[in-house]
Amino acid sequence: MLRDHDELAIGGEPAGGRLELRDITVRHPGPGRDGPTVWNVTLTLEPGRILGLAGESGCGKSTTAKAAIGFRRGGEEVSGASVLSGLDLLGLAPDARRRLWGNRISYVSQSASLALNPSMRVGRQLAQPLRRHRGLKGAALAQRQVELFEMVGIPNPQAALKRYPFQFSGGQQQRIALAIALCCDPEILILDEPTTGLDVTTQARISALLRDIADRMRIAVLYVSHDLALLANLTDRLAVMYAGEIVEEGPTRAVIAAPRHPYTKILLGLSPRIDDPRLVPGIPGIPPPTAVLDHCAFAPRCPYAADACHTVHPAPAAAAHGGVVRCLRADELSTVSPEPVAFAHARDAGTETLLIVDQVRLHYRNAPRPSVDDVSFKLAAGEWLGIVGESGSGKSSILKMISGLVLPTEGYMRFGNIRLDSLALARPRELCRTIQLVFQNPDASLNPRHSIRQILMRPLVLFRGELGAREREAMILAILDRVRLPASVADRMPHHLSGGQRQRVAIARAFLARPQLLLCDEVTSALDVSVQATVLQMIADLSAETGAAVILVSHDLALVRTMADRIIVMKDGMVVEQAASDALFADPQSAYTRELIAAIPRLGAA
Amino acid sequence: MSIAVLQQPGEAPGEAPGPGRPALWRGLMAAPDGRVGVGLTVAMLLLIVFGPLAAPYSPTAINLAPANQPPSFEHLLGADHLGRDVFSRFLWGGRSILAIPLMAVILTYATAGLLSLVATYRGGAVDLVVCRFFELMMSLPALLKILLLVAAFGPTTGVLIVAIAITNMPGASRVVRGAVLGEIRADYVQAAQARGEATLSVVVREILPNVLGPVAADFALRITWGIIALSTLSFLGLGVQPPEADWGLMIQESRSSLQKAPLITILPAMAIAALSIGLNLASDALVRHVTSQGNGRR
Repeated sequence: MLRDHDELAIGGEPAGGRLELRDITVRHPGPGRDGPTVWNVTLTLEPGRILGLAGESGCGKSTTAKAAIGFRRGGEEVSGASVLSGLDLLGLAPDARRRLWGNRISYVSQSASLALNPSMRVGRQLAQPLRRHRGLKGAALAQRQVELFEMVGIPNPQAALKRYPFQFSGGQQQRIALAIALCCDPEILILDEPTTGLDVTTQARISALLRDIADRMRIAVLYVSHDLALLANLTDRLAVMYAGEIVEEGPTRAVIAAPRHPYTKILLGLSPRIDDPRLVPGIPGIPPPTAVLDHCAFAPRCPYAADACHTVHPAPAAAAHGGVVRCLRADELSTVSPEPVAFAHARDAGTETLLIVDQVRLHYRNAPRPSVDDVSFKLAAGEWLGIVGESGSGKSSILKMISGLVLPTEGYMRFGNIRLDSLALARPRELCRTIQLVFQNPDASLNPRHSIRQILMRPLVLFRGELGAREREAMILAILDRVRLPASVADRMPHHLSGGQRQRVAIARAFLARPQLLLCDEVTSALDVSVQATVLQMIADLSAETGAAVILVSHDLALVRTMADRIIVMKDGMVVEQAASDALFADPQSAYTRELIAAIPRLGAA
Repeated sequence: MSIAVLQQPGEAPGEAPGPGRPALWRGLMAAPDGRVGVGLTVAMLLLIVFGPLAAPYSPTAINLAPANQPPSFEHLLGADHLGRDVFSRFLWGGRSILAIPLMAVILTYATAGLLSLVATYRGGAVDLVVCRFFELMMSLPALLKILLLVAAFGPTTGVLIVAIAITNMPGASRVVRGAVLGEIRADYVQAAQARGEATLSVVVREILPNVLGPVAADFALRITWGIIALSTLSFLGLGVQPPEADWGLMIQESRSSLQKAPLITILPAMAIAALSIGLNLASDALVRHVTSQGNGRR
């Protein structure tokens, strides 16, 4: 069995498999699920090529990827064909399929920390497929394990094999998952959001590793991701999915340079770019949960929709870029693209200092190092400040200290002329009102048992006690209208709303208190790009109107640039660099900032 | 060309909502065991509440003439060794067996439940003391605790309620503590803290509604245990005292004549079983519904 592998490796140009998806359709029969979740997906994975499958959450991209290798969850009906060198994976007996999985076909899921068995040493997990599919034992097995770990860049492989998953960082866990996927020299590799949730620098390194492996081993790769910029840099071909259908597919460079489908155009414009701080405004509405077969699924949200778009279901047509596009007006619109806008900055950032943070340090008990170490900055009234850093850099902890959720271990903070030296509970109510915090995940920051009205009523009751019941109700309706939610939302519970709608409720709650300082903690990282811009725009508009200063915390440097006047870059609890936004990008002073900027996938670099 | 998409009104919110409480009911009735549980419980509750109205005789009236009588038209289930009508005793006998455990569990949650809610939220030394206290209580066997209390203060209704409540306290405290710990780091709690909400407001307004699900399920389960504990006590002669009509007591009094008159023993035993099983199935379904909902929420 070992010989097989050697031949593959020495042969240099192994044949490589090609996987052809033909009219893959997935249905989930059951109440409330009329349409298919994936409709007539036809794609080809070529050896040595990476095919990107892009789309927002719920568009069916993961379902497609799983259906492609013949994996189906209970209750799923999959039709069509998925052919690997003459073999239809969908028609195979479960036994035969299992002989292919982990062998000729490998799959890597989004979260390696969940995919790896936490109670088993990684070496044993790597040995399982090698034993089963290759029959490796003893020294040959050990040698192959070390080879694989070296290939994916795990330092000191001998020792690493004996460790448990939790002893590795998130990026290393994903490398280990990749090593397991690659251990039997697969022909087909399916990656389902493999770097989502990892830091940009880690993401860049794993992407480079993947590209190298696909080229060298002639593997046909399907890379599923919501991140168009990432796919633009990594893939050879790109397919964009919307509501279970491929709306556009073609060579990546050509699609990025001249997208034909309005959805692709908008998605591209919505991705923050480092060469342009402007964003295309978000699009209203949410994608349909299943495929729409009687008209164009995107028509209700499409700014270019004509009458025909609402009555005719467009068929895939050849596009100028050499791929296909599913849009009736693709040719008419070939030169049209959505215009990016800058976020309104109504007032000149004042001279009056609003917040002073001076040599602040936060060291949690039992933590090996301080979460925040000697951080100092000033914020002017009405200024928009971005704080950027990778996970664990202490950026969120700064917000927690300012809002009074934790006390700094050392240091001095002042807001206006009030010293911030107590927890929120002990602070004057007026101070709590004027500093408002919006959280990353609106699923968690809105009490699931409270109606939207109850949620919005709370700041009014606490901070605007002088208002009567009728005035409060009027204010709630006014702010709902301001964040473009219908008044009927007031009686709904949070779980009835989409993620973007929930985040708008959270923003409305913050602004009902009429804050002077708004703290935004990764407010868009749980949202799809199509609503990300809308939410940022809303924060920008409301802040500009009320003159509130904003601190925007994010791991995404390009995103922060769209709003912030000034940016602070953090690493390991310390400030690495602090500069005006444009200056930071034009002339980054520290090596770390340069590394961060270099790691951001670029759009339109082609 | 630019697009003015932002100006459009907000989209319609998601799927049509089901109001909060009926959703709990639907979840309970979704599975077959939930339906059986609710059915059994409701049937037994009807029997216990309205049964006494249909009783033909007083449950405690002694009439030696028909003593040890087999079933007849006058005495549908016959009469016991003191000539009391078995059918009437059966219809009356569920009251104490439901009321005492119910009161006991209410008492448990009103004391240990609330204490743990606040102590867990406050954390630190308060939490530590409360935790150790209940762990200490847990180290004594339940039956021993009840027997000690009943032996010391006599088998009155009040003592029985307190005794059963005390045996339930450590467990209830753990359920509340676990549920609160699951919510305490949630962003909505932090949001409330950052607003400067008072501690009581955070506990009652924010956390309490989110721990009610697991508490409700545990509540129903504890009533079942209470019923079994009380029946055990009555059987041992330490629970409900003669001449009260009580299912546990009826079993104890009649078991010597099990071969001659099996119905007097079997009927109350089956009633206890039906009530316990019904409550158990219903609370199981409730637990399942609450946990699955919890997963969907986050």
